Amino acid sequence: MRLLPSLGIGFGFCVAALAQGVNGVDPKDLLHPPPDSWLTYHGDYSGRRHTSLTEITPENVGQLKQVWRFQTGRNPSIKATPILVNGILYITTPDNLWAIDARTAKELWHYEHPKNDAFHIGHRGAAVYKDTVYLTTPDCHLVALNAKDGTVKWNIVIADSSKGYWSSNAPLIVGNHVLVGISGDFDNLPGQLKSIDADTGKTQWIFYTTPPPGGTEPESGGATGGQMWMTGTYDPLLNLVYVGSGNPTPVLNGKVRPGDNPWTCSIIALNPDTGKLVWGFQVSPHDTHDWDASEVPVLVDADFNGEPRKLLLQASRNGYFFVLDRTNGKNLLTAPYATVNWAKGIDTTGRPIPNPAKEPSKDGVLIAPNESGATNYRSPSFDPKTGMLIVSVQDGYGIYFFKPEHGTYGWAGADYGVAGRAFLRAIDYKTGKTIWDHPIGDGAGTAGVLTTDTGVTFSGDVPGNLMAFRTSDGATLWHAAIGKVGNGPITYRLDGKQYLVVGGGSSLYAFALP
Amino acid sequence: MNLTTKISVVTLIAAGIAIAQAPAGPAQSRTLAPGESPASLPPPKTVTQQTYPAEQVQAGEGRFTSQCGFCHGRDAAGGETGPDLTRSALVAQDTRGDKIGPLLKTGRPDRGMPSFDLTTAEVGALVAFIHAQKTKFETLGGGRRAVDVTDLATGKADAGRRYFNRKGSCAGCHSPTGDLAGIASRYRGLQLLQRMLYPSGQPAPAPPKVTFTLPEGRTVIAPLAIQDEFTISVLDPAGARQTYARSAVKFKINDPMSAHFDQLGKYTDKDMHDVYAYLETLK
Repeated sequence: MRLLPSLGIGFGFCVAALAQGVNGVDPKDLLHPPPDSWLTYHGDYSGRRHTSLTEITPENVGQLKQVWRFQTGRNPSIKATPILVNGILYITTPDNLWAIDARTAKELWHYEHPKNDAFHIGHRGAAVYKDTVYLTTPDCHLVALNAKDGTVKWNIVIADSSKGYWSSNAPLIVGNHVLVGISGDFDNLPGQLKSIDADTGKTQWIFYTTPPPGGTEPESGGATGGQMWMTGTYDPLLNLVYVGSGNPTPVLNGKVRPGDNPWTCSIIALNPDTGKLVWGFQVSPHDTHDWDASEVPVLVDADFNGEPRKLLLQASRNGYFFVLDRTNGKNLLTAPYATVNWAKGIDTTGRPIPNPAKEPSKDGVLIAPNESGATNYRSPSFDPKTGMLIVSVQDGYGIYFFKPEHGTYGWAGADYGVAGRAFLRAIDYKTGKTIWDHPIGDGAGTAGVLTTDTGVTFSGDVPGNLMAFRTSDGATLWHAAIGKVGNGPITYRLDGKQYLVVGGGSSLYAFALP
Repeated sequence: MNLTTKISVVTLIAAGIAIAQAPAGPAQSRTLAPGESPASLPPPKTVTQQTYPAEQVQAGEGRFTSQCGFCHGRDAAGGETGPDLTRSALVAQDTRGDKIGPLLKTGRPDRGMPSFDLTTAEVGALVAFIHAQKTKFETLGGGRRAVDVTDLATGKADAGRRYFNRKGSCAGCHSPTGDLAGIASRYRGLQLLQRMLYPSGQPAPAPPKVTFTLPEGRTVIAPLAIQDEFTISVLDPAGARQTYARSAVKFKINDPMSAHFDQLGKYTDKDMHDVYAYLETLK
């Protein structure tokens, strides 16, 4: 434990930090993460990616200077959110995890998982519990590493990658549960979220979005899929974990899986102790366009229609913005926030009604959004002062084809992106209306979003700039050409100074005021 | 991209001279007008037949799955963001990696394909697998995610012509006897439909033109290379990128693609198929 010299750090925190031991995270800290840390993928359980640190302001953000750069020395770009625990940063790419001294950017240790032939599309990040760091791998292992030196404590298989599963997931830690999600929609596989005992590596429960092999539940209408590959959020008072589920399979052939296909393309509330479904809300009933509802379910306590409510916000890949009452999953608002042409209306429960004429066809249909969606894995941020959810949006079009010859397995169809335009878009949570819109290039962005209490928004553009915007109106305040920002920037205070840490290309950068 | 830090802003006058020396033609011919290349009919046939040992193909399959499959599909027949390689013109023209190898090394950063740092043996295995898949799909008579020319033949050419001339305002920029003459001989099927909706792919459509206004009022036109919110890069007569801070130059960009993008929000599916049917008649 390093003693932190800053006067800005209160006595209370020092005591709490000492209690953690050398490298560890007390699971109780996850409920109130100290400002000298970024303990989880989203920074805290709410998924708001908003900081209370106030050193960096709209007035001085233009003076930010690069403090260090850590190069992984590998080709894959960083798509992970780093985690900061007691002055140590943990950053991942597929099969790799580095522990870095946050003061010097020196590598403390590096874990490399054995070579494997599973999908290496990207990796979202690590998780830390007590003195253990967890890494999911493309071949669906969960590896528990000693935070001190990166030695393996245990290594378990969470799914069979030879069947077509892979994992890019940053686990969510709730109590002693390590919640890990899995991907895989090139094969007809049921979606599963697993809870693993943080200490022993034993499976505590598995939640399936579609019936497991040999299952008899008819509800899914014959659909498989519904993978939960993104990190969820958690409300400790309600003791509910919220996670978004992916698209049904076969992906474009909806004819062989009639009905709504629950719980694919849904926002799901689970009891983390039992893995039991408490409620579900389907944002895309009977999806035929690959629009995962995996985007972050952002938890906000705020007024809605004049009443204080426990809200859940999601800007979903299908182009619609949803506000739910997170105590019971009831819909409060559904509104398009991007270009959409696939629904014929909203049903009485707030779900878009898919237009059958916009299902993939033999001669092709022109669809907005395109397959990569109105947004995707890139995390949004909620700014409580302005009530805006700030989202990296794509307005785009694709053409979708299906004919019986495409079959009933995996993709079962063909689709092609036509064109897209990328924006950073500020959405009013009360109405779903756009407050401001900042063009960031052609195609789709890759950067997540971070907002600060002082009114600065950090994100990145398509060509490869890290950018700072004024939260109130989206005006550009600062930029640095560090390459494509692959996920959400984070911020924390270390030795009394506020840092901004972000991945650009295959490097991690730290910025601070002079 | 590191334009702002790597390239200092050249003075406006120097830029003006450099670009002004360019005869308008050559500056643009580098990026060639649509239709200069011969037609590539999908799926293009492998030019040089080649076979590979089974164990090399198998090694390539594993590597393809882990490093290429997410974008190009595990069977190389197209995936979430990458094209169907069994129908790729580049693959058809490749002999033992002479085209695929260099592409893997450089990637296609402009289209989202990263570069790969691979050994000769690894490249060889990937090449073997891709060719094996192409051969397999050729024998099967088209990729399993294929869109055939006959699939698209549902529109009415007459209605398409009317849309082209009136509602779609396509005739404002295009002419069936000018730039579009013979378009259906150069492109067919899905490729024609994609180019109609939003021109892209090979041959690359002409880039937007940037018109700079110099301090003395003279204007200079150059093709756009790349831009962001802070800088604009154009190609000089030698084909090199010249980069300027946007705030340091006066310019206008004429991007014909923006009309194509706007049109995507206006087409009904019927309009789209009708206009396609009309273009199909322009052989």
